[in-house]
Amino acid sequence: MRALFNFLVKHNDWFLFLLLEGISLVLIVRFNNYQSATFFTSAGSMAGSVYSMFMDANRYFHLKTENDGLLAQNVALTRELSQLKEQLTELRNSETLLNDSLVKSIDSGYRFLTANIINNSLNSVNNFITLNKGSDDGVRPEMGVFNSDGIVGVVYLTSKNRSIVIPLLNSKSSISCRVKGSESFCSLSWDGGDTRYSNLIDLPRYAQFEKGDTVVTSGFSSIFPGDLPVGTVERIEDSADGMFYTVRVKLFVDFSRLTSVFIVGNDDYEEQSQLEQEITKILK
Amino acid sequence: MHSFLNRLKNFAILAAAQVLLFNHIHLFGYATAYIYLLFILKMPRFATRNEQMLWAFALGLIVDMFGNTPGINAAAATMLAFMRNYILAMFIPNGMTEDFVPGTKVLRWGAYISYAAISITLFCIVLFMLELFTLTRPMHLAIGVAGSTLLTLLFVTVIESFNKGSR
Repeated sequence: MRALFNFLVKHNDWFLFLLLEGISLVLIVRFNNYQSATFFTSAGSMAGSVYSMFMDANRYFHLKTENDGLLAQNVALTRELSQLKEQLTELRNSETLLNDSLVKSIDSGYRFLTANIINNSLNSVNNFITLNKGSDDGVRPEMGVFNSDGIVGVVYLTSKNRSIVIPLLNSKSSISCRVKGSESFCSLSWDGGDTRYSNLIDLPRYAQFEKGDTVVTSGFSSIFPGDLPVGTVERIEDSADGMFYTVRVKLFVDFSRLTSVFIVGNDDYEEQSQLEQEITKILK
Repeated sequence: MHSFLNRLKNFAILAAAQVLLFNHIHLFGYATAYIYLLFILKMPRFATRNEQMLWAFALGLIVDMFGNTPGINAAAATMLAFMRNYILAMFIPNGMTEDFVPGTKVLRWGAYISYAAISITLFCIVLFMLELFTLTRPMHLAIGVAGSTLLTLLFVTVIESFNKGSR
């Protein structure tokens, strides 16, 4: 007994070492868990408030570029609105069956919120973005995030006043996309490295497209509406097994200059995901 | 007591510099400078191992909280603090018995840089291995470790030469 006690005292630094490393490992493992507490992250109260303070100051330096982007988007949207109005009047006049379903799709569906970015990492394989809106503002996990250039990522977890986004630049990110003009869809995923590029993997070989084509969201996941811009096709390669194409995509969004974003949520999303989960359970 | 407050001040400065500035600089998308390691490198020779590990763990945890990497920096920094005395022992001149803060005032440049280089390499290897836990991309690991080690070492050298000049 005495020998054991002496042993413990003599090697107390080893035990402290194991204890501290143990705590670290628990934190590492727990953060991968979806339901993990947000305290030890930038959405937690401590780190979050410091970041908010610095970002408020930082935002002033980007106001000009931000304004230019919004102005350009405003012009584009106004033009699109007038076009859609024209089309709507035409359709109303034509009295087809299409009329009903068109009006329905405009009414149903997506809610939009705006948020500012208070922290943004680029230097890891699993990057995260922190936003200044949380569950109190109506943000919930699995909402889509985009800005005037294109899509940015998906909300991962929320605290009361802040939320963490998994951007396209995260190896866990996977977003359903398609090349504009072709019907076949596939997922966009990032493998680290250059923050300007990402990859479309497992694109069927019968898909018709070429370099320079635009990549857009497919709209199948119901996180994002369809046809939001993602990037352009930069390079086309064969996948390792030769059954598919792997496409290098140049992203529209410049992640190093993000300041504010839009968050989009589908009111029907929960219903859809519940249905999808049920069918997975049945098939198991 | 005075030395404790002094240490707390350095702790705060390095933590702030790391999370607000250096975490946002990434050369070529791979290399990041882990400047907060200076805190561990500059621990006095006779600081106890427990003391070093507790400071390193706290500092790593704060960097983690701001970088959304819970546990990763804490684990790597604790590992470095645990090993530091062994690494430093290799470069202490013969016959040196008194306490000192590692730096070029006491050690030769070559010895100090080697001490820093071994420490930083060890830290980066542990850090990137934990970070890439789920990924099997050995090239990313190698480039990340080499890039970050060199960049951190560059900053450590620059800061050391400024420190020396001001004295």
